Amino acid sequence: MALVWQIQCTASPPLPSLPFFKRKSSSSPSLPLPLTRSFRLRFTHVPSPRPVAASISSVESPTSVDGLGNNKTPLLEVKGLTAVIAETKQEILKGVDLVVNHGEIHAIMGKNGSGKSTFSKVLVGHPDYEVTGGSVVFKGENLLDMEPEERSLAGLFMSFQSPVEIPGVNNIDFLHMAYNARRKKLGQPELGPLEFYAYIYPKLDLVNMKTDFLNRNVNEGFSGGERKRNEILQLAVLGADFAILDEIDSGLDVDALRDVAKAVNGLLTLKNSVLMITHYRRLLEFIKPTFIHIMEDGRIIKTGDSSLAQILEEKGYNAIPSA
Amino acid sequence: MAALASTHPNLLQFTPKLSPSKQQLKPKRIATKFSVQAISASPQTSFTDQYVLQLADSLEDSLPSSSSFLLQNLRDNSSETILSTQWPSRKDESFRFTDTSFIKSSDIKPISHPPKTPTFSDISRDTKFKSFYFADGFLLDSSFDSSNLPDGVYVGSLSKLPSDGILERVSGLLGDLEWGDLFWSINGLGAPDLMVVYVPEGCKVEQPIYLKYIAVEGGDKGSKTMPLSNPRVFVLVEKGGEVGIVEEFAGKEDSECHWTNSVLEVVIGGGGKVRHSYVQNQSLNAAHIKWTSVRQESTSTYELVEVSTGGKLSRHNVHVQQLGSNTVTELTTFHMCVGDQTQDLHSRIVLDHPRGYCQQLHKCIVAHSSGQVVFDGNVKVNRYAQQTDAGQLTRSLLLEPRATVNVKPNLQIIADDVKCSHGAAISDLEDSQLFYFQARGIDLETARKALVFSFGAEVIDRLPHTFLQEQVKNNVKELLGSTMSKDS
Repeated sequence: MALVWQIQCTASPPLPSLPFFKRKSSSSPSLPLPLTRSFRLRFTHVPSPRPVAASISSVESPTSVDGLGNNKTPLLEVKGLTAVIAETKQEILKGVDLVVNHGEIHAIMGKNGSGKSTFSKVLVGHPDYEVTGGSVVFKGENLLDMEPEERSLAGLFMSFQSPVEIPGVNNIDFLHMAYNARRKKLGQPELGPLEFYAYIYPKLDLVNMKTDFLNRNVNEGFSGGERKRNEILQLAVLGADFAILDEIDSGLDVDALRDVAKAVNGLLTLKNSVLMITHYRRLLEFIKPTFIHIMEDGRIIKTGDSSLAQILEEKGYNAIPSA
Repeated sequence: MAALASTHPNLLQFTPKLSPSKQQLKPKRIATKFSVQAISASPQTSFTDQYVLQLADSLEDSLPSSSSFLLQNLRDNSSETILSTQWPSRKDESFRFTDTSFIKSSDIKPISHPPKTPTFSDISRDTKFKSFYFADGFLLDSSFDSSNLPDGVYVGSLSKLPSDGILERVSGLLGDLEWGDLFWSINGLGAPDLMVVYVPEGCKVEQPIYLKYIAVEGGDKGSKTMPLSNPRVFVLVEKGGEVGIVEEFAGKEDSECHWTNSVLEVVIGGGGKVRHSYVQNQSLNAAHIKWTSVRQESTSTYELVEVSTGGKLSRHNVHVQQLGSNTVTELTTFHMCVGDQTQDLHSRIVLDHPRGYCQQLHKCIVAHSSGQVVFDGNVKVNRYAQQTDAGQLTRSLLLEPRATVNVKPNLQIIADDVKCSHGAAISDLEDSQLFYFQARGIDLETARKALVFSFGAEVIDRLPHTFLQEQVKNNVKELLGSTMSKDS
């Protein structure tokens, strides 16, 4: 296990990224740079002259080397992502950097309006937002060039904070369509309705929902908890390499939360990763994160491990920069 | 104007006779020396419309005078009304957006005989349905079988009514509509027979009554011949009775030209319930005009679910008259244009008694640049209709440039203690829903198809019989599939 301490301060405004960080998105599996993945520095690009918040983090790098000693590429690598609202051109993301490796669980917390949901929406390709700078590499490919459906087929799943209702399309038809789209992408034959039903039936237990739920229209008349569970059901059915769960815990009662957490934990393997956006520590007790990031004003300002949540709970967000 | 004429039968009319032989028109005519030229050349005045007159004549010629006093009476009254009715023009409010020249410019031939060899391809049907067939407006005897119906229920031709009691009830109520238009009268004049559905007091008919209307005669595309059929049905549900009526207007395989002008009258006694399903899928060259006139006594329920997808010109006129308090009226309609079509719904609900509940949902999809949908939904909440709860919602989906929809939802409220609402939305598909599909890996094209179909599915799901739902869904999917695959 390599322990790396990185201390960097920037004293003056716009500094380009230090050469350390300037590397191309690596798609080759054998990188002679064992230090790559251990960088967890949140380096802020400051567009206007003002005192830069120096972010210092001591990071314990995870076991980023697999059993054979090969270094794998990061699952998701976000560099300097800036984004604005398409209509008003108001800047929301001001330079987000994030690296997620296979098998890791990340959590993002932050004040309301800090840009957490925006970040996840930008990753998924929501038309309300426009990317103005930075890069996102997902499984070695440039994510920002892909259409939303291509991103989903590439293995990116996002569970929405407020899933929209689709009256007239029922759940099983919707899942069937999505599942067949995936199968087609993988070059596998599509499943007929009966076979699909057989495939989906055991997944219902995973989210603790009854079968009549499949015949209801997507999210129509669903309570908050049911909508969230529907999102997790979709995750279970479609599978994902990287799942972004946007406030999956909001509106859920204790039991529902436990069910959802159990379902998510059951879906985790060494290969896929999860990014949770949440406000509360409660979810993090059920799904234990590898890393917690604090987001503020469109940037990730701090990264820590699960102990960070404890600090937040006790002292609030104002305690963070000084920690 | 028709109303005026019927209350003033002595209105000066001189009609130039075209067929000199029969004495058909109302003998109360006063022949004067008033010049023929002045009258016949001005359809804008309240004098007779030449074209209408010719049509009335040919209708009368087409049928033998009926043995039934009731039917003859209906014909006489209709004839009287027709004489002072104009063919609707774009200047009439109720036809402002509906172009009837398609019918007017054709050579209309009322069908005078039932088809010789009825060919209906699908006899196989869910045995839960009690089916009756109309071919070219004539009720086919061969499908009579009232054995599985509860006692006292009668479904069949007027001429074969078993009891005089029912006949009396019917005669008091038949044809009584002050809001009728020309097409109502045309049917009254030209209906060869009247089908009666009678449900006695307290009787709940489990099996729905399935009426299938088939057009056998049709004019070829080249010729301008337009055979006209006038099927007419009268439904009388006594106090506490319940029945489901399904009307299906089927299309012909080859898109021949014909005109179906049908009328359905429903009288629902106190506490009664009628679930009316109406599916129209006529050929794309056909004209279809239908009247549904409903009278509801107190605490009765009338539910209409309509899915209209066919016909070059299709117009449905609905009139619901409330005759007592605490009624429930639900109109749910779905219209779709996939070609150069006009789909029109003109509905009127007249509430004169308290605590009525009425909800209207109208949805339409126009998937062709020459397609047009017209909606005029009128609800009159009159002075004594206090504590009415009335709602009206119309939603339209325009999928092609230059597709047109003209909606006029209107509630005329005089009572002052009511809850009324109405809304109209005309749009393309919702972006947030499309994005939800995309975020799950479904491409935009498939998502659009699914959402367009689901737009109509909301109404189709309200059809009370699963068999019908499946059939209609498949039909709509097919129609949508053929249009959307043409899109790039």
